[in-house]
Amino acid sequence: MNTTVVGAYPKISDEHQELRRALHKADRGELDDASLAVAFDEATEWAIGELADVGIDVINDGQIRWDDLLAPFAKAWRNCERGPLERFYDNNTYFRQPIIKGPIETDGQTLVRDFTFADGKLRGRAHLKAAVCGPLTFATLTAEDDHYKDLEARTLAIADALAKELAGLGAAGAKIVDVEEPALAAHPELIDLERAALARLAKGGVTVALYPYFFPIDKIIEKLDVPPVGILGVDVRSRETSPKAIERLGAWKGTVSLGVIDARNTRIETPRETGELVDAALKQLRDERRLILSTTTGLEYLPHDVARKKLNALVDAARAAKGVPA
Amino acid sequence: MSEILLTTTVGSFGKPDYLQKARNANARGKVSDSELHDLEKKATEEWIRRQEDIDLDILVDGEMYRGDMVAYFAERLDGFRLGGLVRSYGNRYYHKPVIASKVSRPKPMTVDWFRFTQGLTDRPVKGMLTGPYTLLDWSYNEAYRTRRDAALALAEAVRQEAEDLERAGAKYIQIDEPAIHARPEEIDIAIEAMAVVTQNLKAKTVSHICYGDFAAIYPKVLELPVDQLDLAMHNYEYRWLKLFDEHPFTKELAIGVVDVHSHRLETVEEAAEGIRKGLKYVSADRLLPHPDCGLKTRTVEESLDKCRVVVDAAKKVRAEIGSRAVPVQA
Repeated sequence: MNTTVVGAYPKISDEHQELRRALHKADRGELDDASLAVAFDEATEWAIGELADVGIDVINDGQIRWDDLLAPFAKAWRNCERGPLERFYDNNTYFRQPIIKGPIETDGQTLVRDFTFADGKLRGRAHLKAAVCGPLTFATLTAEDDHYKDLEARTLAIADALAKELAGLGAAGAKIVDVEEPALAAHPELIDLERAALARLAKGGVTVALYPYFFPIDKIIEKLDVPPVGILGVDVRSRETSPKAIERLGAWKGTVSLGVIDARNTRIETPRETGELVDAALKQLRDERRLILSTTTGLEYLPHDVARKKLNALVDAARAAKGVPA
Repeated sequence: MSEILLTTTVGSFGKPDYLQKARNANARGKVSDSELHDLEKKATEEWIRRQEDIDLDILVDGEMYRGDMVAYFAERLDGFRLGGLVRSYGNRYYHKPVIASKVSRPKPMTVDWFRFTQGLTDRPVKGMLTGPYTLLDWSYNEAYRTRRDAALALAEAVRQEAEDLERAGAKYIQIDEPAIHARPEEIDIAIEAMAVVTQNLKAKTVSHICYGDFAAIYPKVLELPVDQLDLAMHNYEYRWLKLFDEHPFTKELAIGVVDVHSHRLETVEEAAEGIRKGLKYVSADRLLPHPDCGLKTRTVEESLDKCRVVVDAAKKVRAEIGSRAVPVQA
């Protein structure tokens, strides 16, 4: 049973604060862009090294350059800007709301350099996947839109831009691209719009792993069977009602990435706890090849030392599921 | 000072360089706790004088002795341990606390600071607390089976502190709940917990709410048992006021009229226009202009400039209304 992570990894630890210091220096005008880029690369190499060394099978690049889930795109896309700060769902973490001034345009290369860099540094120690924000998440968290007439038009335009990003990442070697879509879990009533947006992502030509996290998704699982979604991330820990989703997994035909490790609380899961969730999921899926174990969301919501323990708990959960002693 | 459009601030101000350096040195063991405490008192007195000079009506101690509004209390309540660094946004990190066992308050946490600060001025100084729901939501919970259980345990500790502040003479007690809309489905827990805190208080009670989907908890939030809601409005282009068309606002409103996360300084007219917008819904004797949130992320000079704009805007609108100046007593 494979393991994977979702979202951002901590950018610093108690021992590794080089990136934090570099950003402070850059903010004061004491560090140029090239030197800051080196600091980002070094932090990325550190993060992917930790993810791979602990034994995670499919990793991302830790999203070290991402200020927030929307930032890489709001920065890179033409006619987009980053606007006022806002709280990111139910987290004490903040993001800058996008502002759309005109038609969104992209060359599809926004993340290609970072993916290629991480892949080169990984040297086969783990599989590397890419990630983008979800179209509905970007669209619903936009603060101002001077161009698109409504949420539907904005969401679909963002999906078209993301399809170009997926195509660019696919050409760079990405086989799987996570689409992080908390807005879908927060707004299940927008499922039809999400389906239309996901269908447009098919133009990207890669397998999409859809991660609607933070909120329960039991009511919409059966409606997510839309190409190119091959993997569905199911957060079963964020809320007391989140595990209900497991009972509905029979309606899903693809692979499930089961979020058994809570990336937003410090208590470390035991193999027994994760094992119960795995058993319940397998009763629905009936094929362990269709099950991946993962964190619920990005481990950056935790201090680095706890994030490391969570990675170990994830690896232990997979070993226990395979009957391998910890 | 006036009896209408009383001006205030949300709580924190930028720390002077000498204090920031001393805090950093204290963390490295290079400056003693006693030396740091003296500098915190010095900075607090400076902020009291600045607030008086600017002519703010209801003052705060500026939180020169606090780093973070949750960590400060977590460090003083039994049951918490301080977690590692977690990023808040950009390059800003904080130590997110962990509720590791049952929570209790071994002794008062803010009362000495309140007494010290109120002793420096004749103007009223607010007692400043973080609400139980926010203490819960901005901590990791390892100790309580449910979030409600944790919130109610925290509420008991905050109640004890609030009542001690009142006994020390606080006329205004602010119990901040910026996380109250984090999970709108839990608003009843926040209301129940706040009722524990304020049940015996005679002081005017205030709760600051910011950065989130206020619409998701309105009008239910009007059941929060406090006298005054203190809302970030400028950052949201005053969109929350439209909610009051359908469900009238029933409390005093402290209205944010300048953005605290922008280096840009608003014009007096811009802030005055914000006050005028608020006056369409709340009478001048129940409307209190202030910055959207605490100013700790701004420099001392930026904090001062933002506060001056608030005060000048209030004076401008008072003049338009034609109020008579009546002093406020501490």
